[in-house]
Amino acid sequence: MIVDETIRQVLSEHARLVVDVSTLDDRADLFAAGMTSHSSVNVMLALEDAFDIEFSEEMLKKATFESIGAIRRAVQEMQARG
Amino acid sequence: MSSARYEVDSAATLASRLLDGVEERRSQAGFGPTQLRVGMDVIAVREVARSLERFGGRYVERLFTVHEMATCRCAADTVGNVRGYSTERLAARFAAKEAAIKVLRPIGARPAWPSIEVHRTAGGWCELRLSRSAATLARQAGIDQLAVSLTHEAEVAGAVVVGVCNQGRMDADAGQTGAGRVE
Repeated sequence: MIVDETIRQVLSEHARLVVDVSTLDDRADLFAAGMTSHSSVNVMLALEDAFDIEFSEEMLKKATFESIGAIRRAVQEMQARG
Repeated sequence: MSSARYEVDSAATLASRLLDGVEERRSQAGFGPTQLRVGMDVIAVREVARSLERFGGRYVERLFTVHEMATCRCAADTVGNVRGYSTERLAARFAAKEAAIKVLRPIGARPAWPSIEVHRTAGGWCELRLSRSAATLARQAGIDQLAVSLTHEAEVAGAVVVGVCNQGRMDADAGQTGAGRVE
């Protein structure tokens, strides 16, 4: 799935995880895996570049970036809005 | 007892009596107790430098206010300069925002980073100014005073934020502690 692959690529480059992103399942807690608040900013900006989207203020909560599944849902929600 | 020890004891006793008096008067007026909240955060300066190199202006504009951007501008030959910004100063301000969020204790959505501003006064000291979502959180928590202290060196930046949380009238504001206490 291209969306998942892109998300994993972004996480691999910007999340500063202490584990290999390929070992994480959809529900794994990314903050527990080493992502900090600051690295989540980089993840957000890189996702915006990768998917040509812009996260709105109401989406800037910890829950949006807490797992690969949560990020996928947020990306798909924004893509559906157009 | 030495005179120095006596002075320390006297000051502590006086402070304690003053605080007791304040709390007693607040209690008599129907207000809840005063509480302090403390938040702190540290960040590696190189993380900010990397973000600035990778995302440029978008990174700065999503996190910082116009005032913060202006106060973090530096000359091209300044150590730690990336794209015209002092990465040490930006890192300290990011740490202050994170420390403030720990004081505000949001449930669910976090306040937008620019809604927490580190304002540099004419005297060179810094203070926090809240707007929009951050100001709303402060009002809801009854936080009516905030203080911030920043520090940075070449590798690491950090900040401590203290908030004074005055709970609102216990009779009329049950369930909305402190609402309306912040102007």
